Amino acid sequence: MIAARLAAPRRAALLTGLVLAAAVLRALLLPLGDAFSTAIFAACLLGITWAGASTQVGERVLKRRNAAIAGVAVGVLLLIPVMTGPMSRRPLGDFWSWAAIAAMVATLEETAIRGALYRSWLAESGPLAAIGIGAVVFALIHLPRYGLTAMPLDLAVGFALGGLRAVTGRVMPCAIAHTIADWGAWFWA
Amino acid sequence: MRDRPYDRGLGGLVLGLTARRWVGLAAVLLGLAAAALLHGRLAAPPIYDGIIVPPAPYRYESPPPNLRNGNQPPLSGEATLPAPGGDVAGGGVQTDDQQVITFWGPGTLKAPPGATSVKCTITPVANPPPPPAGVEIRGNVYAINCVGQPGNGKVTLTSTFHLTMRIPPGTVNDIRYWDGQSWQNLTTLFAPGGDPYASVNAPGFGDYAAMARTGSSNGTGGFFSGLSRYLEFYGILAFVVIFGVIAIIQEIRRRRARTLRK
Repeated sequence: MIAARLAAPRRAALLTGLVLAAAVLRALLLPLGDAFSTAIFAACLLGITWAGASTQVGERVLKRRNAAIAGVAVGVLLLIPVMTGPMSRRPLGDFWSWAAIAAMVATLEETAIRGALYRSWLAESGPLAAIGIGAVVFALIHLPRYGLTAMPLDLAVGFALGGLRAVTGRVMPCAIAHTIADWGAWFWA
Repeated sequence: MRDRPYDRGLGGLVLGLTARRWVGLAAVLLGLAAAALLHGRLAAPPIYDGIIVPPAPYRYESPPPNLRNGNQPPLSGEATLPAPGGDVAGGGVQTDDQQVITFWGPGTLKAPPGATSVKCTITPVANPPPPPAGVEIRGNVYAINCVGQPGNGKVTLTSTFHLTMRIPPGTVNDIRYWDGQSWQNLTTLFAPGGDPYASVNAPGFGDYAAMARTGSSNGTGGFFSGLSRYLEFYGILAFVVIFGVIAIIQEIRRRRARTLRK
């Protein structure tokens, strides 16, 4: 038990470093194209999720259906401020392939940050650290694309998604909320 | 320690909150409240993935035949800038569809005597001057002008101003300026990363247009254009399928391992 507790911060810190390194790699590869750099980033997140899958923590999990409802609710609440803006009139025909990529990247970000990373920090330092560090990492990985001015908003959204993870005990509602918030950008941003 | 569904549902969530869930609920509420307050006050990311949202379709004054359906007319823009003592402290104007954005530095605009402000407008031109030989206009031609208020007196430019135009799909070589007699080439900077914008230091009031050499791709057809669209679409599709399959396999293996441990 003591050995596991001592090993945990190293593992959590390693996973945190890996997620941040994946974001830096993505930024460095951006000149080669958005699709390519995103694909590499997605592959890194998948690897991190895989690497962190073995960490087990005892969590009470909400029923799948109720967790999904909570995810939809948080996604819609994140979207409401965006919906107050004008509609973008982007063609619906082009939406589907973009939406699939957005959903996939959102899900992988969630499985890495609210999945592997959250479990590792939760095992050692408790829910507050798991939520807080997850939110900071979430804001930092988007820094190269959105800049410093967007960091407070990303941090706030990271807190909401981390909280959702703690409440439901699942990653799935976070992925749902994240995806809904992303998809709204097609119609309103 | 329980890792199977907690069977009291949402009612159980409210009545049986653990310390961990209290922390989670507080984080959700705090995060949502902060996100609602921050939206619109800061440069908000449209999405939280760092992927690009394709821009809304270009609005053509005279759309190519295959883009006529669904084309929205381009919008104009207007701004009134205060001119105390005849000098404008600086400012900008953009069209409501953000296809053209201009910025004047401090002292760039001189208002006429008696004017207390300057009204600047950007308007799409329905009947633009013809392009020079061997060159085609791509997208819309925009007229940019400023007049003193009141009286609509002539505003003087003391130096160039910054002009950014959205460029339509297809090749664009440069932005040109119609000085009333001929089209002038301007040194044009294109936005990196495939963003459809180009900028120039605009020398005066008048018409501005993006132009390309005759015969270069207009982004509306052609074998290679069609091929690249197919490649892009199926590439994206393959990308989604491969990662989706890997994620599903990973989840199945994880669940199987967990069952074996029990």
